[in-house]
Amino acid sequence: MLLLAATLVVASALGLLWRWRQGRVRVVAGGRSLLPDLARVGAQPGERATLLQFSSAFCAPCRATRRVLAEVAAVVPGVRHVEVDAEAHLDLVRDLGVLSTPTTLVLDAAGHVTRRAVGQPRPAEVYAALGHALP
Amino acid sequence: MIDPRGPRLAAWITTFVLAAVVLSHSGVLLLAQALVFVLGTRGRSPYALLFRRLVRPRLGPPAELEPEAPTRFAQLVGAVFAGIGVVGLATGLTWLGLAATVAALAAAFLNAAFGFCLGCQLYLLVKQATTPATTPATTKGATT
Repeated sequence: MLLLAATLVVASALGLLWRWRQGRVRVVAGGRSLLPDLARVGAQPGERATLLQFSSAFCAPCRATRRVLAEVAAVVPGVRHVEVDAEAHLDLVRDLGVLSTPTTLVLDAAGHVTRRAVGQPRPAEVYAALGHALP
Repeated sequence: MIDPRGPRLAAWITTFVLAAVVLSHSGVLLLAQALVFVLGTRGRSPYALLFRRLVRPRLGPPAELEPEAPTRFAQLVGAVFAGIGVVGLATGLTWLGLAATVAALAAAFLNAAFGFCLGCQLYLLVKQATTPATTPATTKGATT
C-alpha cells in the first residue's frame, strides 16, 4: 500500500514538474548565426525572425507545436516557421544541443538564437519571444 | 490514425490493473496485463476494443487523430517491463517483480494523467547515441 502511494505521489510530482517546464521559453545569448545551416537544409529564413522547430516521429506535441508556430508565422509579417526533422539532421541536433522534440529556436533576422523552448509552447509565449527577437 | 482518447483510456485501465498488482503481488494479474500489452503491439488491445465498442459510441468526434505507431511502441515497452515483473514474481524475487511493475505503473500513470509522451523524450536521445557522427559535408538532407 505504501509502495503504491509512494509511486503515485512521486509520479504525480514528476508529472507536475514536467508540465510546468513544458514550453517554457528560455533566454539564449551568444552563439553563431544559423543562416548557413538553414541554407544547407534547404530552408528559407524569415526576413525579420525565424521560428525553427525540431520535430521527430512518435511526437504528438510536435504536431500541436507546428499548429501554434504556423499560426504565429501567419499572423506576424516577416516571420517564417521552419520545421526540421531532427532524425534527418543529427549533426545539427548535436551541435545545437537539442535533446528532445519538439524544441523551438527563435532566430532573429541575422539567424542568431534569441530564445529556446523545449516542449509545446503557448502562443502568448511565442509572441513574447518574438517581441524580443524583432527589431 | 486513431482516436487519441482510446490509448488514454487504455492507460487509465492499465494504471488501475498495475496498481492492483502492486497491492496484491499477483503474478497472474501481471501476466494478464503483459498479454494485453503484447496484443497491443499488434493493434489488438482488449482495452482498445472496449473503447471502440462501449465508450466511443457515446462520445463526439475526436478533435484530432494520432498515428498508431507510437502507441504500439509504448505497448512493447510495457510488455518488456511486465514480462520482467512476471519473472520476478514467479521466481520469488518479489523486489524485482515489484520494481518492474512500479516502473510500468509510473509510465502508464504519467501517460494517463499528464499526457506525458515518453517516446518524445527518449527517441531522439537514443537516436543520437546510436547514430555515428558525420562531417557537415556529408550530413543527410543537405541540398545542392
